[in-house]
Amino acid sequence: MSKILIVDDEPHLRLLYENELRRAGYETMTASNAVQGLEFVETMRPDLVILDIRMAGMDGIEAMQRIMERDKQIPVILNTAFSSYKDNYLTWAADAYVTKSSDVTELVETVQRVLEKKATASG
Amino acid sequence: MPMENDPLPTSEQMTVLVAAFRQNPLPLLVVADGGTIAAVSDGACELLAMPREKVMGLNVADRFLPPLPIDRCLNQKECRDERCRREILPAEGQPVPVEVLCRPFSVSGESAEGGRLNDHCLLYISDTRKRDYEDELRAARLAKLSLLNQVSEALYGANLTLDQVLEAVLICITAGQGLRFNRAFLLLVDDEKNVLRGEIAIGPSNQDEAGRIWNDLAHQPDDLFSMMTSYDQSIKQTDAAVNAIVKNMTVPLDDHDHVLVRSMEQGQAIRVTPDMDLPGVAAIRQWLGCDTFAVAPLMTRSGMLGAIIADNAISGQEITDLDLEFLQLFANQSASAIENSRLYTELERRLIALRKAHEKQKEHQETLLRMERLSVMGETSAIVAHELRNPLVAIGGFARALVRNLDPDDPNHKYATIITEEVTRMETIIHDLLDFIRPQKQQRKEVRIDELVTGTVDRYQGEMQAQRIDLQLDLQSEDSVVACNPIEIQQVLQNFLVNALQVLPEGGRIEVRTRLMQGGVQVEVCDNGPGIAQEVEDKLFAPFFTTKPTGSGLGLTICQQIIKSHGGVIGARNRKGQGACFSFILPLPRNS
Repeated sequence: MSKILIVDDEPHLRLLYENELRRAGYETMTASNAVQGLEFVETMRPDLVILDIRMAGMDGIEAMQRIMERDKQIPVILNTAFSSYKDNYLTWAADAYVTKSSDVTELVETVQRVLEKKATASG
Repeated sequence: MPMENDPLPTSEQMTVLVAAFRQNPLPLLVVADGGTIAAVSDGACELLAMPREKVMGLNVADRFLPPLPIDRCLNQKECRDERCRREILPAEGQPVPVEVLCRPFSVSGESAEGGRLNDHCLLYISDTRKRDYEDELRAARLAKLSLLNQVSEALYGANLTLDQVLEAVLICITAGQGLRFNRAFLLLVDDEKNVLRGEIAIGPSNQDEAGRIWNDLAHQPDDLFSMMTSYDQSIKQTDAAVNAIVKNMTVPLDDHDHVLVRSMEQGQAIRVTPDMDLPGVAAIRQWLGCDTFAVAPLMTRSGMLGAIIADNAISGQEITDLDLEFLQLFANQSASAIENSRLYTELERRLIALRKAHEKQKEHQETLLRMERLSVMGETSAIVAHELRNPLVAIGGFARALVRNLDPDDPNHKYATIITEEVTRMETIIHDLLDFIRPQKQQRKEVRIDELVTGTVDRYQGEMQAQRIDLQLDLQSEDSVVACNPIEIQQVLQNFLVNALQVLPEGGRIEVRTRLMQGGVQVEVCDNGPGIAQEVEDKLFAPFFTTKPTGSGLGLTICQQIIKSHGGVIGARNRKGQGACFSFILPLPRNS
């Protein structure tokens, strides 16, 4: 069972994503900020990280950069309310970019796709 | 002139005096007591249309109506002049109005009380017809001068267009109230071709037309505007003939002997009569179909504007000194007015241009202000929309969970469905709004790729010189134009150049090449540095991969994204000898 780390500073959204991803059959863990998220990447070794971009303190893009510097194998999905971040070159480094929606289907499907891609790449 | 104390002339003197008196061309008579004519001058004989012998002995009372006041002059001691207007009756023809000055004098008369009595009277007769004619002439002069004055005021004051001024000038030359020429032709200097060229003309083409027009205009008031109006009504349609003539008129300005050029260079009107033969006259006679004409220069302080040709081809009337004088005067006035109008037109043109520029600027300023306001509004709405997005995700997301978990028969299932639907609606609104507010990505522009490369390379001249890099440009895209975001493509090139500069030692070489390929343009940056290590070759464009201690590892990733977004390809290779080549290919528009 793949472990998904959800980093988002909105508790309700964390709960929503946890519920939905668990329902889809993933193991989940959450962090409420980027620093905590990086800690969990080190300690819990998730298979995939979902990063909110705009968070208090370190933002999702910087967190992504740090994660990739340590372990390029961990896929990162940027999940944000700001569709305009798509124009930021740095976001191009992410494995996927999902605009937040009350319909979580896109996020769940993206997680699935990215994990499959990783599995084929490493396998 | 009192004569009382004059000594009597001697008989010799008398003989001379009488002879002189007789031959005087002025009409003079000496009347003796009783009104008998005692002496008569040649002038008086002519006026009376009689030989001297018939005049002598006549009584003045027979020839002057009403009778002259001779009695008041004669047999008086004092000598007083009497002036009166009379009609004189010549032997043939109509009575002539004259003014007579009666001056009494004494030849031998002595009064009973001693002293002299006037016994003769000298009559100075002046033909008032001549004087009246001169008065008329003077009056005409005045009228014309006043018209000229009026015209020049009108020409200056009314801000007429150049065409209107030219028209007014010609009308005044030909109008009955004006200079009374039959036809007038106006030629202007064409500086570019250095010729004098016929511009416009007015005048009738034959006697009938002339009769009609002059009749039409006979009762027009003497002011310029009514003249111009009647011109429009009655002359304009007859101008075809003279305007056809004027279009043929071309005189090279370097033909200094030509009568028109000479007139301009000397600033002098010239009257050409049938007996005159000056250079250019033959051609003008041929144009006009008439031997006699006048030319006048249009001169201003700043130079020669042109010339006027005027003639009386229809009436055949003589061109008098007065006509010429007025033509000259009027030409001077006209020249100033023409120049004035030209300057005014030019000023007006510039003023309009300035005003337009000003309006445009104002418009731009307003647009900018409006855009700024919109942009502030947009930014605010964007922030609000974003802030609403997160709570909506939570509301809608959990409502979906409820929909899923509730039994479809449960009324709450329906309510939860409504919540999800409404949230989706709100999300759509926010999405559209943000899409609308989001600043447009910079438009792609058509760019000459070689220019873009040169421009980018130029920015690194300083670094290259400091590092003594041998730069070789080999641009052969043959002026190819690609549609791209120039800033992004520059960023890719800069990345290539900076990478090369970082790996090269001092004195290294960088070659920048552009080449036209099938459907695209290739841009290549090669160096003679260490080249690409085999183990990193396939990770070059991967994110966060870097061989540099301070690199982000995103440079080439971004380059790849940029080139991909332009529909191109990016690549890197080692050169056969030494060093690395980074290149990209951008597609050319299909039609090129």
